Amino acid sequence: MSAEAALIARAEAILPGAVIIRLERRIKTALAVAAFLIVFVACCYDLGLSWDVLGGGLVKMGTILGAMWPPTSGGELPRLLLALVQTLAIAVLGTLLAALVAIPLGLAAARNIVPNPAIHFAIRRFMDLFRGIPVLVWALILVAAVGLGPIPGILAIAFSDIPRLGKLFAEALENVDARQQDSLRATGSSTSGVFRFGVVPQLLPVWLSQCLYYLEQNFRAAAVVGVVGAGGIGFELEERIRIFAFDEVAFITLMYIIVVGIVDFGSERLRAHLT
Amino acid sequence: MKDSAASTGTSSLNRVAAIESEWRQTIRKSRLQTFAWMILVSIILLGSVELSAVGKSSVDAGWIDRIASFVDRLIPDLRADALFAGRQVDGSLASWFYDLPRWLEAMRETVAMAFVGTVVGGLMALGLSFQAAANLNRNAFLRHTVRRGFDAARTIPDVILALIFAAAFSLGAVAGVLTIIITTMGSLGKLFSECMENAEMNQVDAIEGVGGNRLLQLRFGILPQLLPQILSYWLLRMEINLSVAAALGIVGAGGIGMELERAISFTEFDTYLAILILIVFCIFVIDLVSEQLRHRLIGLTQ
Repeated sequence: MSAEAALIARAEAILPGAVIIRLERRIKTALAVAAFLIVFVACCYDLGLSWDVLGGGLVKMGTILGAMWPPTSGGELPRLLLALVQTLAIAVLGTLLAALVAIPLGLAAARNIVPNPAIHFAIRRFMDLFRGIPVLVWALILVAAVGLGPIPGILAIAFSDIPRLGKLFAEALENVDARQQDSLRATGSSTSGVFRFGVVPQLLPVWLSQCLYYLEQNFRAAAVVGVVGAGGIGFELEERIRIFAFDEVAFITLMYIIVVGIVDFGSERLRAHLT
Repeated sequence: MKDSAASTGTSSLNRVAAIESEWRQTIRKSRLQTFAWMILVSIILLGSVELSAVGKSSVDAGWIDRIASFVDRLIPDLRADALFAGRQVDGSLASWFYDLPRWLEAMRETVAMAFVGTVVGGLMALGLSFQAAANLNRNAFLRHTVRRGFDAARTIPDVILALIFAAAFSLGAVAGVLTIIITTMGSLGKLFSECMENAEMNQVDAIEGVGGNRLLQLRFGILPQLLPQILSYWLLRMEINLSVAAALGIVGAGGIGMELERAISFTEFDTYLAILILIVFCIFVIDLVSEQLRHRLIGLTQ
């Protein structure tokens, strides 16, 4: 017993607080946990989350899940497949548009391209500001401005991705190894030559793989913007949820999950090949 | 003597020629590859343009006017002399943000949705991620079931989930919270289980060696080494969920998004801009706070 106490005393001397947790620290932890719990419960109360609501909803949820079986295409398989491909097309064009606009922004926001700190700081903060706007918020306003159809979907995806891709592009530019440019300059290359052979070969695979990653994400976003009227699979899903055709909803969702899996797999393989 | 020098000369010349021809072949092959990729990408792009009907859309002659009038209605008519006047005065900031107390209330609801959803979804992810990590769960069937569950929860678009939950739980914040719980569980579950697979197993073995049960092994062997990383992912997810929660309101799942939807359906585009500014501001502030917290968490481990 005393040997144990001596051991504990030695450990305490080496690293105070390692074995014996002091009372004040315990009280602090308990207070933090209590504050967290109070905030959490208050939030639940504020949102109207109660066992009655959850219980009643779960019963209905059970009915809905029951209605999902068996999944059926409702005899509209060609139309659904077309909508799915259209969703993919919206994602491709949105990503392309975003990348095209993000390239000059990325160049302007990179420290090693634009030496003036005021410019790239301003552009970065500007992009940060817009990064928080969700794609659905863009889609809602663009549907109101441009009208129903795939075009507002493409624009919404592009607008929400321009600041994100711009930031990634700028970071990739800043991570380019400067030694290749130095050696090109030492052998007498022009500025454009330095850029073409010293920067682009390092940069292109990174940018392409970032674009591919965003294409994967945008396939999901394209389904989301369809719900507010921007075409594609989201539009079909929304229609069927509104009329409670849950067996068709289940079919479309399963089909969509499989295609997302295929797209993700292909894009992941390509990205692994690139980098 | 002379002969041998000439022969080495020709052989090295031959070598150079061989290298050059190989080089030319390599270049030709890589150019062909690039060309094939460009053709493939062009086909995909042309197909996309065709399918999304961008070219065929009925863009009438007056589209410039339409966008101009839209932008005109988006931007509020502020007057410099009445900027800080009361709500009743046209052109003041107060008349632009005319419903600010209600929007703040809705914003509070959005933050609460994101908070509750992140906490509950993260706890579920934490509980399940032990089952999805290959070094902690040897049962391959259970492991793959949990992983596919995470994948499905991440892949189903959140808006679709919200619509389905709204059908069961009626429109409002509850549907939004449940949606956030599911998507958070999917994405955090994947990240957490990947963290756990990288964890040092020595601590777990040590606790097993002194007779600790499974729960103690996880609590004292795994959690302490991963806690900073897990909490930092959790906070990052909180930031993401805030914008998700704001967006979900658009399909009727409670919070500030419902105000956005209302502004659009009444075609009050300047109100939409006001609410958007509010959302961006709130997300910006919470991002800053959360970033500070995350940096402190990562700093503590070093």
